[in-house]
Amino acid sequence: MISELLINAFLVTIMLSIAIALIKTRTVIFTVILTSAYSLVAALMFITLDAVDVAFTEASVGAGISTILFLAAMAYLPKKEEESISSEFIPALSCIILGGILIWCSFDLPEIGQLTAPIHQHIAPEYIKGSKENIGIPNIVTSVLASYRGYDTFGETIVVFTAGVAVLALLEKKNPAKKNKSQPKRKIRKNA
Amino acid sequence: MISSTVGIWNYWIVFCLMMIGLFLVIGRKNFLKKIVGLTIFQTSVFLLYITFGKIKGGTPPILNESINTIYSNPLPHVLILTAIVVGVATTALGLSLVLRINSEYGSIEEDDVSAQDLVDYHDDIETGKKLDLKFKK
Repeated sequence: MISELLINAFLVTIMLSIAIALIKTRTVIFTVILTSAYSLVAALMFITLDAVDVAFTEASVGAGISTILFLAAMAYLPKKEEESISSEFIPALSCIILGGILIWCSFDLPEIGQLTAPIHQHIAPEYIKGSKENIGIPNIVTSVLASYRGYDTFGETIVVFTAGVAVLALLEKKNPAKKNKSQPKRKIRKNA
Repeated sequence: MISSTVGIWNYWIVFCLMMIGLFLVIGRKNFLKKIVGLTIFQTSVFLLYITFGKIKGGTPPILNESINTIYSNPLPHVLILTAIVVGVATTALGLSLVLRINSEYGSIEEDDVSAQDLVDYHDDIETGKKLDLKFKK
């Protein structure tokens, strides 16, 4: 039991060091690679925390597709991050204060892995009991995702569709020559 | 004693990761770095949720034959599965916004972009042009 938690603690510490490296680095390619590594270590974490479905979704979508998107965007963007003129003291201070408050609050959280924690009392036992009879799939996550809370998944597809439409609208290839010609014409007419 | 310290240690690291993500969003002026910060923040929130769902000695929530199995809580897993996909959608949207800003302003540094906006604003005031709050085309 303790070994499991120690593996957890080890993995989150790796994640912490990756995040600190992210603050240090100013090169865009390193930033992208570190983000990908962060997602992969997070996927390992999810396996040790019994969330196998989440782990392979994170490994394929978080570490795979996100990285592809970042790499594709990187090709059109400046390769170096500039040093900021303004001071980073106030953001850092507010983050540290907020983190301190969160850590202070964490003493009220239930210890990891306790069966008596409030989250395990409410509706999850019903899902675990009813999954076999109601839906007949051994994987409870799938039956909750697709059946008990199917509307959530429906809403998710709407969100993804909206994002896709918005991306298409933003990246629409305008014909620059045509636009530059048409705008001055209008202005000339107004002046005349 | 060790187990209780380790039990809370996870939460602390997750909160530190969140704060690093938040710092990248509000402290860094590079728009790409801000989006990376959002991703970091998101993943740490996922970790927090999955950590809540863990049960000591539990197995992944896939039904097996034996009766006395303890399954970890499947509900956070489902919520996070949805959130991962939505997270990628928001990342894609943010990246396309960054690409658009880069093509309009020629820079993705917040200082450059706001300086250009300020110059345009003062030009508009000097020429007495009617101010419209729409983005510069």
